Amino acid sequence: MTDKLHKTHATYDKTIGIVNNNPLGRGFAHPVDIASKNGELFVLNKHPAFTRVGVCNYEEDYLREFGTYGHGDGQFWLPTGIAVNDEGYVFVCDEFHNNVSVFRSSGEYVRNWGKQGSDLGELDGPSNIALSGNGNLFVVDQNNHRVQEFSTDGEFVNSLGEFGHGNGQLNQPWGIAIGKDGSIFVSDWGNDRIQQFDPAGEYVAIYGGPEENNGSLHRPSKPAVDRDGYVYVSDWGNESVKIYSPSGEHVQSLRGEATLSVWAQEFLDANPDESSQRDISDLMPELPDHFDTPYLISTQIESYFWGPSSVIIGEDGRLYVVESSRHRIQIYNVS
Amino acid sequence: MVTTENKIEQRSMMAHLMRRAGFGATQKELDTLETLDYEDVVDELLKPGQSNHMSDELILRYHTEVHEQRVGPWSAKQWLYRMVTTDTPIVEKIALFWHGIFATGYAKTNQARALMVQIDMFRKYGLGKFDILLEELAKDPAMIIWLDNQDNHKGAINENFGREILELFSMGIGNYTEDDIKECSRAFTGWTLKNAEYMSVRAMKDSIWPYGRISWHYEYRDSDHDSGPKTFLGETGNFNGGDIVGIISKQRAAAEFISRHLYDFFVADEVPVPQWPYTPPRDPEAIKLLSDVYIANNHDLTEVLRVLLKSDFFREARFERVKCPVEYVAGCLRVSNIVERPTLLMNDAVSVMEYMGQSLLNPPSVEGWHEGKEWINSGSIVERVNFAYDVWHNSESPEVKDVTDRLASRGTLDSLDAVEECLDFMGPLLFTEETAKQAIVDHVAKQGVIKFGDQNSDVREKAENRISEILALIASSKEYQRC
Amino acid sequence: MAEIKDKKLVVVQLSGGNDALNTVIPYNDENYYDNRPQVHIDPEKALKLDSELAMNPSMTAIKRLWDEGKVAVLNGVGYPDPNRSHFRSMDIWHTAEPTKVLTEGWIGRALRDLDPKGDNVLGGINFGRGLPRAMSCPGVPVASVGDLDTYGLFPSVSNASDRNDILNVFSQMYGRGDGRDMVSEFLSQTGEDAMVGADILSEAPAKYSSSVEYAANPLASSLRDAARVMFADVGTRFFYTQHGSFDTHGGELPVHSKLWEDVSSSIGDFMDDVREHGHAESTAILVFSEFGRRIKDNGSGTDHGSGGVAFLIGDSVKGGMYGRYPSLKQNDQLNGDLYANNDFRSLYTNILEEWFDLDPVSIVNGTFEKFDIFE
Repeated sequence: MTDKLHKTHATYDKTIGIVNNNPLGRGFAHPVDIASKNGELFVLNKHPAFTRVGVCNYEEDYLREFGTYGHGDGQFWLPTGIAVNDEGYVFVCDEFHNNVSVFRSSGEYVRNWGKQGSDLGELDGPSNIALSGNGNLFVVDQNNHRVQEFSTDGEFVNSLGEFGHGNGQLNQPWGIAIGKDGSIFVSDWGNDRIQQFDPAGEYVAIYGGPEENNGSLHRPSKPAVDRDGYVYVSDWGNESVKIYSPSGEHVQSLRGEATLSVWAQEFLDANPDESSQRDISDLMPELPDHFDTPYLISTQIESYFWGPSSVIIGEDGRLYVVESSRHRIQIYNVS
Repeated sequence: MVTTENKIEQRSMMAHLMRRAGFGATQKELDTLETLDYEDVVDELLKPGQSNHMSDELILRYHTEVHEQRVGPWSAKQWLYRMVTTDTPIVEKIALFWHGIFATGYAKTNQARALMVQIDMFRKYGLGKFDILLEELAKDPAMIIWLDNQDNHKGAINENFGREILELFSMGIGNYTEDDIKECSRAFTGWTLKNAEYMSVRAMKDSIWPYGRISWHYEYRDSDHDSGPKTFLGETGNFNGGDIVGIISKQRAAAEFISRHLYDFFVADEVPVPQWPYTPPRDPEAIKLLSDVYIANNHDLTEVLRVLLKSDFFREARFERVKCPVEYVAGCLRVSNIVERPTLLMNDAVSVMEYMGQSLLNPPSVEGWHEGKEWINSGSIVERVNFAYDVWHNSESPEVKDVTDRLASRGTLDSLDAVEECLDFMGPLLFTEETAKQAIVDHVAKQGVIKFGDQNSDVREKAENRISEILALIASSKEYQRC
Repeated sequence: MAEIKDKKLVVVQLSGGNDALNTVIPYNDENYYDNRPQVHIDPEKALKLDSELAMNPSMTAIKRLWDEGKVAVLNGVGYPDPNRSHFRSMDIWHTAEPTKVLTEGWIGRALRDLDPKGDNVLGGINFGRGLPRAMSCPGVPVASVGDLDTYGLFPSVSNASDRNDILNVFSQMYGRGDGRDMVSEFLSQTGEDAMVGADILSEAPAKYSSSVEYAANPLASSLRDAARVMFADVGTRFFYTQHGSFDTHGGELPVHSKLWEDVSSSIGDFMDDVREHGHAESTAILVFSEFGRRIKDNGSGTDHGSGGVAFLIGDSVKGGMYGRYPSLKQNDQLNGDLYANNDFRSLYTNILEEWFDLDPVSIVNGTFEKFDIFE
């Protein structure tokens, strides 16, 4: 029995965020990943120089921030993934330092571990990180084309995947999510698909794929999976989000429909010269033909996703889409 | 028959061609090129195929800020990757050529994405017909904002674009009147961008709020267009912008101005453009020839460039140009072949071009950069020498390894031979002052002859280090500043 | 009798648009608090200058100098038709020309007038890399010293003896001989100038001895480099530095405060050093930014505005308030911004004429009001 195409599986709720081009203060600076824990949202920013973890919430309160740009303890250079466990520890992986940094959720730095290389237990460009049911960490090891499992202390446990295009093989993977049953979902970026592995690391299924159809993906950045087994993918190369049923059928595509966040509205209120012009502008204009790629279109249409680098299903069950080039998070309700 | 001498000359000619029509060639590339007929190579160059450049997606994933391209240097970085890794560098050279003439700067547009759209337009139309290129330019949103054409209204003209298209972009001072400027401006009224008022206030304030930049596209506002009769360069009609560019392109003055620019960029340094009305070209015959080709081929720029690249005056103009910082940096990175995957080294490369005096995508004014020997001053020479030395003094460079391998077949090399071979590899460069070459030779001789050993041996590794030092010293020379 | 030294100017550029309202604060003006609900300075902490104005609490060293009468505060500086784009507005300050784009800078022109033949290759030094437009003028040599201790050719060659060898090779490669053409000759000359400059500068650190310990921030390092060069007496007249980014659209209070802590402590340390070495009376420090910021805050910071504040500091400066502090009243605003009433070219005119004994008109493209700002 096939799932019905359920066009309103996810419905738009609101947008939070605003661009921030300072080392401190509310707003986001190339947010690339997000974690949701205890009513707080931990947003990881990858802007060179302004990188940090910004902690806010659904209500758009900016609570605190930690981590700075640098090579020392507690500092990031190219941070790519964040995860927060039940004990309140925050894990951030960095693709330049080839390490994982550990903080308390207050922001206090604890330790880091990780070493560059291609041997088991070594990392080359870790691009995302997720917690498994047994409390271990899964780190996507981008340039080694595999996913490695570590204890939270950095002890190597297991590795899955190897370079290739076949089932169970990966090509420059990016993001990762762990399902309720321990299934491992990896965005196989270079192969334009999501691969699902069972908790033992055996290949199970593919979502998406490059073939031309509505459910196809192009350079997907991250998967997310909800309690019912629906899979959500930030389809980075197509500037969109694709949703699949548990049986792998494509049920919905989202292009993005951002509205003004509270912070955005405050900015416009303080700058009437800009807001008055914005109010009389057509922000969804028709574009000339030569703007024919999703990327080019998103540069022109502000409400569309631009640089969707991560999606998660938050603790509240909502879908959060993080856009690195629009410095905001679009939130959807999921049925 | 191909003699050894012919081959050396042929290789040298190809190296010269690739420096001018690209950013230089590696030894492996020259191995192929030296076996081909020069004229065939030129013809192939002018039919650029697949660029096979480093995947933009790879670059955008690693350099997350380049995905957004909020500011000039972020876009410049993507362009630099392209210059260094493309198989069709002539396309990038042409884009750089037009970027220097149709100089549009980040400083005022505050919109780097739109500047990259302009560069893409140069890639696409830069070697086609001149009138089409000018029309695309007039519709280019970055240009519109840069020269305030969104403020050019029916009944209230703004002459900025109308003036510069004649003075700087096509014919040069003395070939049109003030009235022509006004009529030209009238013809371009209504050539604006979508949401012009909002975009323009954002550009003026360098606004990135709330959600980053919103890029631009062209919009024609018929209601704002002055469709009345105009007299322009002696012709009369209800001209719109498309007609104007057609008239401009037919002019002998345009042929000569563009030819002189092509000569300046591809053949040999001219005096700065503001002096052109008062100083004749350094090779008037060449300019005349190119202008004739322009006219005979209906302002087809590919044909002009074809004749230029095949001409004697081009072939003989070795090292008659001072490399601009972009050529200098892109050339070092490309030929040393050290950019194999996205790397933060490119951040430094973009900055260092700026320290050398050329901020890519941000020319100091609509007049572009002052080129030629004006790139050299006591500050920039330090940056140039230091950069080139560091790039080449790197035994991990695939090109350094390749050069070393080639020399290894000679057995042991004494320092004079080693330096002369390396001078050939890097140019071939000719130091006119014997003392200059001798200085390097004496320095190298301090460590004795160079032994090569077997592939992958320690001896070979040591040789690679020594060769890289010779190449680095040559790259620090006066001669290496030129191309 | 004390040796009369050539006058010198140290320029500290605050890049990004310094928020004048939170630098020199109208702490008794209701309008300030009304417009800045989120981004204002606590009046209890502000450093009072007089009954109306106070300095940002981070500016303790500059306040100390103010109390000594050595700080001129120039309120409401700007130019007609303010531009709120970083690059363009900074270029305007650099070229002293608001209405058209020039590429020659005011300092470059001043250097040309001071040393028409370019005899001294170190007349103007930028402590940073690249050439600021302010110092650009054809034919005027300018050294850009990112780090004095490693400045020069081949800094990556760590072994001193190797580096010396390579510098010798360089010197021979660029030596004068039968160059093939004019460009070759020019390259030789330039290479030589660069070597001469680097040689001279390389001796400055060894000659330096001071009891002053500079703060730990990049501006302090640059000013310390400037001091070391100054005390080596190589004839430098203009020393250029910058600090930033002052573009505080968000998180302004902590960021702005830290920036001024950097600037103020660095200037304090520099003044101590200059006094210790007998250069105090012949040195003036100009602090400026390309524009001020909006009167109303945006909830977390402030956006680009106009009408800024500048400072001239030094033992030969007549301390005090110059220019009228712009009014914050609704009707007096310029589209939500401060109305600048003090053309920055006046300040340049004063510096060029009174301090450097130069004819200012051709340098600043016009005649501007003078005021008595030097002792």
